[in-house]
Amino acid sequence: MPFYEKSEDWLHHSSLLLAARPDTTRITTNYHLSPARRTPKNAAPEQAAEDAKKGTRGHLVITTFDPKSGASLKYRTSKAQEVGRLVQMLGNLAAKAAGRKEEDEEVKKEEDVEMGDGAAAESGVATPMTGGAGPAVQQQQPPQAGGGGGGGKGKKKKGKR
Amino acid sequence: MSKHLSQEEFFTALSSLFTTQKTTQKGTVLLTQKRFTYSPSSPSPPEPTPESESDLSALTTPLPPAPILIRATNAKSSSGRKEGKKVKLSTLVQPDDLDAFYVRYAEVCKAGMSGLKPRDRTKRKAKEKARKKMKAQA
Repeated sequence: MPFYEKSEDWLHHSSLLLAARPDTTRITTNYHLSPARRTPKNAAPEQAAEDAKKGTRGHLVITTFDPKSGASLKYRTSKAQEVGRLVQMLGNLAAKAAGRKEEDEEVKKEEDVEMGDGAAAESGVATPMTGGAGPAVQQQQPPQAGGGGGGGKGKKKKGKR
Repeated sequence: MSKHLSQEEFFTALSSLFTTQKTTQKGTVLLTQKRFTYSPSSPSPPEPTPESESDLSALTTPLPPAPILIRATNAKSSSGRKEGKKVKLSTLVQPDDLDAFYVRYAEVCKAGMSGLKPRDRTKRKAKEKARKKMKAQA
């Protein structure tokens, strides 16, 4: 049962597991809150008050589990800023599980192509393109897009140095 | 067995679950989501198909639409259940309602999970301070 370092990796593998076993896979979100410091029961009241000042600590663990194969994919975080993104991921996975996979993918593809076209039209030295959109654009208009892609790559390398 | 709540009831119950957790300053909120394929007419679990066949069918045929079951619980143990401390909520979300549901779900979760660490802004503040100092010197 691996813990993934990045939530994107977790999302990717979860969606694969979900595609393989849509009926049995479940996604669990566990939000746990505990005092930052545990006080013993027989501790002095002063110390208890001091420990209470330290506040609480929250943890969030998301698990994708398939009981049939026993696969369990986990991601753990304690950052509040990630909650929104993670719930969005849960929503995407739920849409796939509900049988809305095809629609969503089509919509995404269309968006990608549109974005690629827009970028190519705006400037010859385009921003670095995503792997998905690049080839499609090249097929449509070979000379322009090829030059744009090359320019973009060169620029990117310069930026890295 | 408890019945499924409507979405409104589910959200109010879930936020009260989060607030009780906040006031007691400890505890767990456990949320589960899965595809809902249970039908009372066929009490036995889904027919056990051979592995290769099921894999092939999953690849070739698109998934029939089904609602998503969302569960929430405070994960109290069996002793807590006897004392009536265990809270179990569940709701069904139809495929068409998923987007609207998850927008509200994200709001409730963001508000409820306040025990997590806020974004660390100390580094940015330090940079700004340094910049101001530079300006003052110049």
